[in-house]
Amino acid sequence: MTEDLEALYKEMAQSIIDGESEIAIELAKKSIELNMHPLETITKGFVIGVNYIGDQFGAGEAFLPELVMAGEAMKAAVAVLEPELLKLGEAREMMGKVVLATVEGDIHEIGKTLVGTMLSASGFEVVDLGVDQPAANIIGKALEINADIIGMSALLTTTMVRQREVIEELDKEGLRPRIKVMVGGAPITRDWVTKIKADGYSEDAIGAVKIAKELVGKADQ
Amino acid sequence: MEKLKFLSDEEIKAMHEATLHIMAEIGIIWSHKPSLDILTGAGCTIKDNRVCFPPELVMDCIAKANKRPTIKGRNGKTNNFGDGNVYFHNLGGARDIFEAKTNSRRPASNQDAVDAIRVLDALINCHTVTPFFTPPEISNEMMSLHMYRHTLPHTTKPVQGPGIQFAHEVKFAVEMANVVGTSADELTLSLSPVSPLTMHDASAAAVMAMAEAGVIHSNLPAPTGGATSPMTMTGSIVQQSAETLAPLVLTQLINPGCGVLYCGRLGMLEPRTGLIWGGVELGLSSAATVQLGHYYGFSVNVYGFSTNAHTIDAQNTFERGLNATIPALAGADELSGIGEMEAGVMGSHAQMVLDNELASSVLRLRTGLSADVEHLAVEIIGNVMNGTRNYLGQKHTLKHIRAGELALTRLAERNSWETWDEKLERKQMADYAILEAERILREHQVTPLETQQEKELDAIMAAAEKETLKKK
Repeated sequence: MTEDLEALYKEMAQSIIDGESEIAIELAKKSIELNMHPLETITKGFVIGVNYIGDQFGAGEAFLPELVMAGEAMKAAVAVLEPELLKLGEAREMMGKVVLATVEGDIHEIGKTLVGTMLSASGFEVVDLGVDQPAANIIGKALEINADIIGMSALLTTTMVRQREVIEELDKEGLRPRIKVMVGGAPITRDWVTKIKADGYSEDAIGAVKIAKELVGKADQ
Repeated sequence: MEKLKFLSDEEIKAMHEATLHIMAEIGIIWSHKPSLDILTGAGCTIKDNRVCFPPELVMDCIAKANKRPTIKGRNGKTNNFGDGNVYFHNLGGARDIFEAKTNSRRPASNQDAVDAIRVLDALINCHTVTPFFTPPEISNEMMSLHMYRHTLPHTTKPVQGPGIQFAHEVKFAVEMANVVGTSADELTLSLSPVSPLTMHDASAAAVMAMAEAGVIHSNLPAPTGGATSPMTMTGSIVQQSAETLAPLVLTQLINPGCGVLYCGRLGMLEPRTGLIWGGVELGLSSAATVQLGHYYGFSVNVYGFSTNAHTIDAQNTFERGLNATIPALAGADELSGIGEMEAGVMGSHAQMVLDNELASSVLRLRTGLSADVEHLAVEIIGNVMNGTRNYLGQKHTLKHIRAGELALTRLAERNSWETWDEKLERKQMADYAILEAERILREHQVTPLETQQEKELDAIMAAAEKETLKKK
């Protein structure tokens, strides 16, 4: 790797760490002008920044807003590079497909949206259905896109019971273990996850990425 | 006593103006057609998906509201908000019960839900009882009504209805309140608009239902500063105020004079782990919410007893001590949170008993000091100096012990080391709280409802279930 190239990759990673979407976009465009391979730009440049900020957050050294801004910057950079990948007839190898939703009766979305941002920043294809989603919508979308994972959020103690309903419906339709289920939200505990037989849960968005990777058998990536 | 103020009158006025500006120029996301028709009929305008409120309409509706409502329990006892007292109520909607004896937790059961109400009924400083636990076996649609139904037989105090989400819950809650002799205008329900600045259709419909029924209600936004409202607390409080006042306008247009409580539940973002519910920012923002609510003449209900702690420990104690005291000294009319632990997802009987004790101290602080002739006691000082030169034998001394000069604790340890070590087996405050909660559950009797009343409540629940299934 030339020094210039190395410096550019570092700048890319730094733009993500700083949550500077506009700089990330400029650097992505610059990489195209320089005929750099878009996949390498992502994996050797921008992803390094996402991983760094994730590690920092995990260590209690970074704050949630930094995580959000890093995720947004990553998405912005990837959006510039993806058309180039398509031109090359290549696609970024995705980790897996995830359908995300906040359960029926619950209209809170910040946590779920953050998980979606971090999952897509980490290479998952994410369809975020939004809030107040009945089981039928969630399962329908999962079947439509052939999802690997359904991720469900609930903020309220009164709505967390809906997570169980979706899982029961999936079981009834014989869709598990093909579709894995991860759950999250403020009232969710490990006991609850065990009780409703979900496949995974996390208390935060970085943990959610780790769990999702495990569920698709790519824990080492 | 002088109220504790963190903001000058000019600053409060600036917050009021900011609130009106948010409502008039930024607007509230609102799509529920029947309520929008009422709002636009009164002069509100629609900007994209938001409704904007003319400042004069907001002020007119604030003027119309009953800002000092009275709620009633089945013992006939009332809480008259705005009468200068501070009333206390418990946390509502906890998922888990903390077993203080074993330092462990488990999901709350139906029996826990009932026991919690009995403990709260016995605690002298819990003035209003709110359904405490949300047992996970109950469906979402029936949860609020289920909690309310199983609260009514176990307390005679005013019951603050549970947080509702849907219009149909209002009808059944009112019917159940009527069974125990509480009319709609003596009943409180609460509903949470979503932050930032969003009224979902179901919430708007529920506000309409509460207004039409004349139910006293709290619009209870719960923004998280840094996530769903600005990171700066005054910014969060003005957004929260707009979220509280927007549904209030609808209420007063439907039913002028309907009783309301001005509420705030601002928590701040813990930028590493999620939500701060125990930091001193909660007390600070609650106090500022009280100040802004009082500017309009409202009775104000804010959070007081609150902690992020998982057990009854040092963090728990200093967090809730500060957070209950600060808004109380700012003049809060009602403080919430008795029994709360772990940012509101858990509660415990021992914690309720401890909070009852803390409430005694808060009440003592609220009473403040008097410097009248009786309290300055110059004559007594003279008498004593001319006589025994101690105050123990003075009638004045006993009189003021009895009159409440001291908040005499039943739980705090105030003996000598020897007594504590040898006779009291080194028991600490939490140990006494556990014992007291156990005693209450063993001995406390609540006048039961009549058989006919129980049957009527069951019939209302059956009808509610039927209607819920139909909606599904």
